[in-house]
Amino acid sequence: MNTVTMKWLLRREFWEYKGAMFWGPVAVAALLVALFGGTIVYALSGQHLPTHLTINGQSMDHGITVALDTKVRLAKMATSVYLVAALPLFGLLSAVVFSYCLGALHDERRDRSILFWKSLPVSDEMTVLSKALTAMLVAPIITIVLATLTSLILLLVGCLALSLNGMNVMGAVLTSPDLYLSPLRLVALLPVYMVWALPTVGWLLLVSGWARTKPSMWAVGGPLIGLMIVKWMSVALQSLSGTPLNLMHHAQDLVARLLTGVVPGIWFSYDKMVLPNLRPTENGIDMNSLVTHSYATLATADAWIGFALGAAMLYGAVRLRRHRDEG
Amino acid sequence: MNSVISARGLRKQYGKRTAVDGIDFDIPAGRIVGLIGPNGSGKTTTLKAALGLVPFEGELSVLGFDPRTQRDDLMQDVCFIADVAILPRWLRVKDAIDFVGGVHPRFNREKAERYLAATSLKPSMKVKEMSKGMVVQLHLALVMAIDAKLLVLDEPTLGLDILYRKQFYQNLLEDYFDEHKTIVITTHQVEEVEHILTDLMFIREGRIVLAASMEEIGERYIEVMVSHDKISAANALQPIDRRTVFGKSVMLFDAGVPGASGGISRQQLAALGETRNPSVADLFVATMKGSYA
Repeated sequence: MNTVTMKWLLRREFWEYKGAMFWGPVAVAALLVALFGGTIVYALSGQHLPTHLTINGQSMDHGITVALDTKVRLAKMATSVYLVAALPLFGLLSAVVFSYCLGALHDERRDRSILFWKSLPVSDEMTVLSKALTAMLVAPIITIVLATLTSLILLLVGCLALSLNGMNVMGAVLTSPDLYLSPLRLVALLPVYMVWALPTVGWLLLVSGWARTKPSMWAVGGPLIGLMIVKWMSVALQSLSGTPLNLMHHAQDLVARLLTGVVPGIWFSYDKMVLPNLRPTENGIDMNSLVTHSYATLATADAWIGFALGAAMLYGAVRLRRHRDEG
Repeated sequence: MNSVISARGLRKQYGKRTAVDGIDFDIPAGRIVGLIGPNGSGKTTTLKAALGLVPFEGELSVLGFDPRTQRDDLMQDVCFIADVAILPRWLRVKDAIDFVGGVHPRFNREKAERYLAATSLKPSMKVKEMSKGMVVQLHLALVMAIDAKLLVLDEPTLGLDILYRKQFYQNLLEDYFDEHKTIVITTHQVEEVEHILTDLMFIREGRIVLAASMEEIGERYIEVMVSHDKISAANALQPIDRRTVFGKSVMLFDAGVPGASGGISRQQLAALGETRNPSVADLFVATMKGSYA
């Protein structure tokens, strides 16, 4: 694979979708900082409220020196969960990746610029791959960077507000390893995200390359109508022979994989054993076990069946782009 | 390998309509070929087949590659401006240069910048801020800076005013073309390209009705301003076209393939009146008569 060409293709995607992929999340991040930061400052310093602070069930009065271990625990909790503040950004990521994939191979056909791109020595394989990588790698990395920055700012604002109230946790926060490890853990989750997102990315790119108009309608409507047909067959079969169609469960799974794979963390919904272990403890969430359990989902057949299906659909999108006559 | 493009029995169906009806042709290297035909005659389809943009039947070899299976290799040496190819609206001039320079090993950045300097385009301009003529200028600047063995231009100057069109063809001849390159052009503005073409191909209803070099055409087709008393004698020689200009009859004769026997001789025609070489436009009109009937 030609890495120079790939670099330019990724840059090309970024130029075209800069608004949705970069400025949108930046605006949301700024909003989060303004809203949450403002609330923290208002609650903790502006009004000198609350005078009575309850942390983990341990109440402390305003101005009283807090025990050291409470500080450390508070810092540990804050640094392990501070990225949660940026959760809306990850929600936005799902929407951005979803709509990006639907447009990626459709927009160039609609504005006929595909004829320009095809006049250059860039293969269809490279082009489709660059779009898949933009969805599964570039967009999440942008989100991780913005989420980290946003959360750091909020954490610092919180620390400052607390110290103005006479509780200095800044030192404890800055020396907590979780502060630095949390963003790295998110980066470490990228491969897991890619495996689980591929079926959806492949499906959306396939529809994007195939649909003449309204790819979103085909991408969402198609599977849902398919699901209704299976449901109807199941009901009909049950009333005729008494045994329902066993397909329903699989059909639902398939549709879910096709449409929701780009949601970060969706992999937990396929492994029912994982969730109980992830309940927040008094020290926040055990982020290490979050990563470990994410990787554990890759040991399931589900993950790799979906991956293979996604790869096949990507190949289909390549073939469509190669042989489709855009007249 | 002499032929840059070689077609044998090239056919393309769109549903029941036959766009290209089993044509054969060869385009040698170092030529500038005009592929000329009315709307819907199959010229764009022929070019798209050669560029690997549409599936087709028959045999087609472009620079020794099969456009159906070896498109990626082919595109290293071929460049094209497709019919109404539109640059994406979000593209900036400087990004366009960076991108093409990044992915195309034969792109000459200085050349592109030199062409652009002669226009009113600014590096930070986006395509959506440009007039149609400016978009075409940008596209041409990008393509002309690529040192391709084969350049295919489908209506390259559509939407440009006469000054830019003249300048474009001048640049094409002076800066771009050399004996190692081959250019295939389709255009409706025949009179603007006829002086730069070396070969001509007329296509009508999916068939090639005339393929010859400009020299051959000069020898073969003769226009005669027939004097009044010679009209019946002239008609007896079966002109392929006749029209009246300022009360005088102008007839177009096909003297046949040079060297072949049985044709009309130049001397015969000279006896009928003043002779001259017809323009490609007149020849085109005569050949395509009844196309829209």
